Amino acid sequence: MIVCLAVVGHQNNPLYIQSFTEADDALKLHHIVHCSLDVVDERVNNPKKSGPTINEAFLGLLYPTENYKVYGYLTNTKVKFILVTTDLDVRDADVRNFFRRFHAAYVDAVTNPFHVPGKKITSKIFAERVSTMVKSFGLSPAS
Amino acid sequence: MEEYPEELRTPPVALTCVVGCPEVHGLITAHLHSQQPPINTIALPDFSKISVIPPKKPPRENSEHVGGILKRDWLSKHRTRIPAVVAALFSSSNVSGDPAQWLQVCTDLENLKATIRGRNIKLVVVVVSQAGHKDDMSEDRMIALRKRAEVDSKYLIVFVPDEHMELKQSLSRHGPRLCTAFADLASTYYRDEGRRVKVRLEKKSFSSMELNVRYCFKVAVYAEFRRDWPEALKLYEDAYHALREMVGTSTRMPPIQRLVEIKTIAEQLHFKMSTLLLHGGKVVEAIAWFRQHTANYRKLLGAPEVIFLHWEWLSRQYLVFAQLLETSSANGLQFPSMASVPADKPTEWEFHPAYYYQAITSYLKEKNICLELALSMSEDVGPIDGSAESVVASVYHGQFARLLEREDTYIMQSLTDDEYVRYTLVEGKRFLDSFEIIALLKRSFEAYNNLKAERAAAYCGFQMAREYFSLSEFSNAKQIFDNIASLYRREGWLLSLWELLGYLRECSRGTGSVKDFIEYSLEMAAMPETTNAVELSSKYCGPAGPATLSQRAKIHKEAFEVARGGSELTLKEQNSHLKVNSDYPLYLEIDLVSPLRVVLLSLVAFHQPTVKPGALSLLTISLRTQLPTNVEIDQLEVQFNQSECNFIIVNDQKPHIAAISNVQPGRRVETAPTLVLATNKWLRLTYEIKSDQSGKLECIYVIARIGPHFTICCRAESPASMSDLPLWKFENLLETIPTVDPGLAFSGQKAIQVEEPDPQVDLNLGSSGPALVGESFILPVTVASKGHAVYSGELKINLVDTRGGGLLSPREDEPFSADNLHVELVDISCHVPEDQSEAPSDNIQKIQPSFGLISVPSLDVGDSWSCKLKIKWNRPKPIMLYVSLGYYPQNGEPSSQKVHVHKSLQIEGKTAVTISHRYMLPFRKDPLLLSKIKSVPEPDQIPSLALNELNMLLISVKNCSEVPLRLLSMSIEMEENKGSCNVQPQHVFGEPVVHVPGEEFKKVFTIVPSVNCTKLKIGTVSLRWQRDSGVREQFHSCDTESQFMKHRLPDVNIELPPLVVSMECPPHAILGNPFIYSIKIYNHTELLQEIKFSISDSQSFVSSGPHSDTIFVLPSSAHVLSYMLVPLGSGSLQLPRVTVTSVRYAAGLQPSNTSSIIFVYPSKPHFEASDT
Repeated sequence: MIVCLAVVGHQNNPLYIQSFTEADDALKLHHIVHCSLDVVDERVNNPKKSGPTINEAFLGLLYPTENYKVYGYLTNTKVKFILVTTDLDVRDADVRNFFRRFHAAYVDAVTNPFHVPGKKITSKIFAERVSTMVKSFGLSPAS
Repeated sequence: MEEYPEELRTPPVALTCVVGCPEVHGLITAHLHSQQPPINTIALPDFSKISVIPPKKPPRENSEHVGGILKRDWLSKHRTRIPAVVAALFSSSNVSGDPAQWLQVCTDLENLKATIRGRNIKLVVVVVSQAGHKDDMSEDRMIALRKRAEVDSKYLIVFVPDEHMELKQSLSRHGPRLCTAFADLASTYYRDEGRRVKVRLEKKSFSSMELNVRYCFKVAVYAEFRRDWPEALKLYEDAYHALREMVGTSTRMPPIQRLVEIKTIAEQLHFKMSTLLLHGGKVVEAIAWFRQHTANYRKLLGAPEVIFLHWEWLSRQYLVFAQLLETSSANGLQFPSMASVPADKPTEWEFHPAYYYQAITSYLKEKNICLELALSMSEDVGPIDGSAESVVASVYHGQFARLLEREDTYIMQSLTDDEYVRYTLVEGKRFLDSFEIIALLKRSFEAYNNLKAERAAAYCGFQMAREYFSLSEFSNAKQIFDNIASLYRREGWLLSLWELLGYLRECSRGTGSVKDFIEYSLEMAAMPETTNAVELSSKYCGPAGPATLSQRAKIHKEAFEVARGGSELTLKEQNSHLKVNSDYPLYLEIDLVSPLRVVLLSLVAFHQPTVKPGALSLLTISLRTQLPTNVEIDQLEVQFNQSECNFIIVNDQKPHIAAISNVQPGRRVETAPTLVLATNKWLRLTYEIKSDQSGKLECIYVIARIGPHFTICCRAESPASMSDLPLWKFENLLETIPTVDPGLAFSGQKAIQVEEPDPQVDLNLGSSGPALVGESFILPVTVASKGHAVYSGELKINLVDTRGGGLLSPREDEPFSADNLHVELVDISCHVPEDQSEAPSDNIQKIQPSFGLISVPSLDVGDSWSCKLKIKWNRPKPIMLYVSLGYYPQNGEPSSQKVHVHKSLQIEGKTAVTISHRYMLPFRKDPLLLSKIKSVPEPDQIPSLALNELNMLLISVKNCSEVPLRLLSMSIEMEENKGSCNVQPQHVFGEPVVHVPGEEFKKVFTIVPSVNCTKLKIGTVSLRWQRDSGVREQFHSCDTESQFMKHRLPDVNIELPPLVVSMECPPHAILGNPFIYSIKIYNHTELLQEIKFSISDSQSFVSSGPHSDTIFVLPSSAHVLSYMLVPLGSGSLQLPRVTVTSVRYAAGLQPSNTSSIIFVYPSKPHFEASDT
């Protein structure tokens, strides 16, 4: 289950952060997302470590915490997507696929002419779409 | 890691034993220990001590009860007490001594053999011989000894240690043999032992799982003794897996203790494996193992009352692994590279100990929670019947037993689970882990900081500060929170910041700082809403409650009540309060980087960029707040850098309460109808302001007073350079402009330039047209006072190239020289009034080629003063002359403003005259110059003159200026070789020749070269001239000074003409009267010259003489052709043309038309002398 999704802007500021849990751990998830940005920076700023897959937006598993797994995705405009899941045996392909759809939703949201780049994403449609995607994650036959 | 016994932490080292001959023990022990790999040695001084080696236990019965998995002392026993090899040392004298001694040797050997046989310990016999007595040993005895000892001959070693000199030698000679023997035997021993146990494993001849684990462990340890790491690792893994199977199947002990034992053994096995893997450089495998290990056991919480033990155990796993990782990464481990990491590979952070340290803390916290819970559940933990003290670790790892003292012996009695739980609770209570958590977090914090992972470090710091907070160490907590807050502010993590500020607010209650409390409260109140605040309303968001608008309004209200002194701030300490009052006023300062800019942002914009002194200019003050509810300000004070401009705006709605008492007397006070700040709405106030002082007038502070003792001092900002508000810049906020005029919002500045007062002094530059190159151009400067007196006046003069770029003067560090100065300021001469002469110190004068400074004497109103600038042009160049006068209108008032007057004038520098020259030959005389007839004329050919002939030089002078000039003299100055040529005359005009613009003035000189030279320097034409003063009075000094204009004549080629042809005829002729026209040919050569000549017929003349012929002119003589001509017409007539051709030089003379014209009068003219 996806417990938290975040879109992080150029100044490492959250443009959209939403947790999908019932428990009172929104704060903790914020911290986890925030800490994972260090790993994104590390991976993006050390291309020599990165090998041939540098051109891929999907950054893979950022770091495992005790109960969560954190995945990252970097768009070509250097906006970061962070996903926190409680599924400890999630498949990379599923996450990759999810990010791709999430990216599409994000692009639709920011192409709204009333959206100012660099500001928070407040679109309700985006939120609904993301929420649907999150619910269907893990239920699809692919996973 | 330190809590593990040493034998577990370090790799096992083979153990040997030496018995007898104690004098050589030290030597052998040290030598063995220094081997690679080292060998440890037990040194027993004599054979009676051999009993320290524990005897072999009787073999295990299959039915025997297994007490535990691993015996606590097994490993240390093998590392310190059971040797693999025993060396029996006998002195050679004993061996080869008398029978009694020999008997003793044999007995000792037998005893030793008996002791070690049970354990299969290997035996080496060493005979210690004296140097020089080596040969004394009897061969028979040696053989007998070997047979008795039942050792191979290579394990009977003769050792000669005693001579000090030979010590090294003996070791190097015997040492290798000794060591090889020891190492071989030890390796054999451990292999045999390992194989023995392994056989049991392979046959599965064990009765219980415990034994399976134990055997695997033993084989692994024996492999480690042999340094067979892969084997050891494999068997440790086997043991680990076997142990894993025991979970849930073993029934040997009560469940709680059973699990504790299994976990303890698992911990040891995992520790061994991690150490082996990390030492082998297999970091990735080690991390994978660690992951698996923690995953295996994480869920095995155990019984509810001892869950804390589980968390403690888990945190210890992390701690040990982190420490192992730290020590091995200190050895320079290379982490593998990675891009997108597959789920089964470790990620970056997992290579860093910091990750594990951080994880430990969460487990330790869990542990504390569980421990507290368990303690509160068990009511009677405190006074246990003293039995807890007697609980000790049992002989097996991971087991505890009660030690009962009974009749001088101790008996271990196993515990029930209840007893065990009680024991652990008591133990647990003794350690409170907050400080341990802080220490670990600090380590993690520092490690992350070193990795430049500031966010992870911030999270560690946050947890650390929270831990301090829970310990009521508020100042420590505040310091850390403050650091982290800046990161969250910068990156706009609102919810995290909200939680953190909530803590900080509570910290300020703890430290008793009202100012901090208000600051944090206001910052929280002015924070943007988190995107999903509604959803979060019921959730935990830190000590300040949910991050909702209503909560923000509540915090806002609370803060203002405290700040206005309406309520007290309750502190953390019991019954203590703080109140803002006249003894404790509250003063907040908001600068450009303060997070409180969201609380009050003040922009100040002047409507104009500059203003005249004393004139009014408009000033707009715009204030904005993001606080959730309206804020009413009682009084606003605006402060400038010129304090006399400061003013106060008073809220008309508010009664003039105590706030007004701050007003200093004489201060301007304005009244605004209302001073209420609404959320995100600009409060704009526009006032007129006047400054008498020129310079910059800048608004510095806008100070808001709210209530009697609360002041917010806000640094003024310019709208043009306003930076975004922190946090709010990421929000979809309605953007409004701070001023009504949008232009002002983008360009408004908080500073205005107050101009100088208008000067009332005239500065005149007497312009006199262009300057002439070479002359000292005199420019009068007049300072005339119209309305101001002039005090301490200074006149600055600057010469600047009009075309910019290349300045007239070279850079200041280069020496000035006239060569590279096109224009220079030569002098400033001024008329010093008599009354000023006594103060020469005032009269500063400073002149540089392009800059001059001169002081102006004090002038009263109506006075004037003038000076003259003397500027010299070395080249023609237009320049700009800037003259500026600075003065004080009042005398002796330092506060008064200096007034400046600036004037500039463009002056052209022109060349006065141009000189040109021309060489000519005398009339009707043509020398043959060979260089002229040769080849085609070249453009840069130098002119040729005939040697010893009279040559004419025509100098023409043209006045290019716009003023008439006077020419005083013109001469040709000869250069070095005097006498090389004769130039006549030198013209000194008795009366100056006035030379009007555009006119050309010519003078003729004659030159007779007397040296045959291809490059003769003729000299320089020197023209002395001056401006024609005429009637202009102001140029007196011009009259006295004349300028020299030089023109260098080009070099000429002097050559001897071989032939000179001259024509002679009378100056005029009369119609019908015959005259003689003769052509004279001089031959200057030493050769006979063949000359062809011919005369053309002319209609105007009748001629007599040879028509054409060839003649020979003798060397150095002349030949004259003469014709008698009778003119037939009158007027200017062309003489018959005579062509003379030199055959030798193939050169002909064709006299020019002008030279062959003669005027023929119709009749003889009558010339009358006029006066004479």
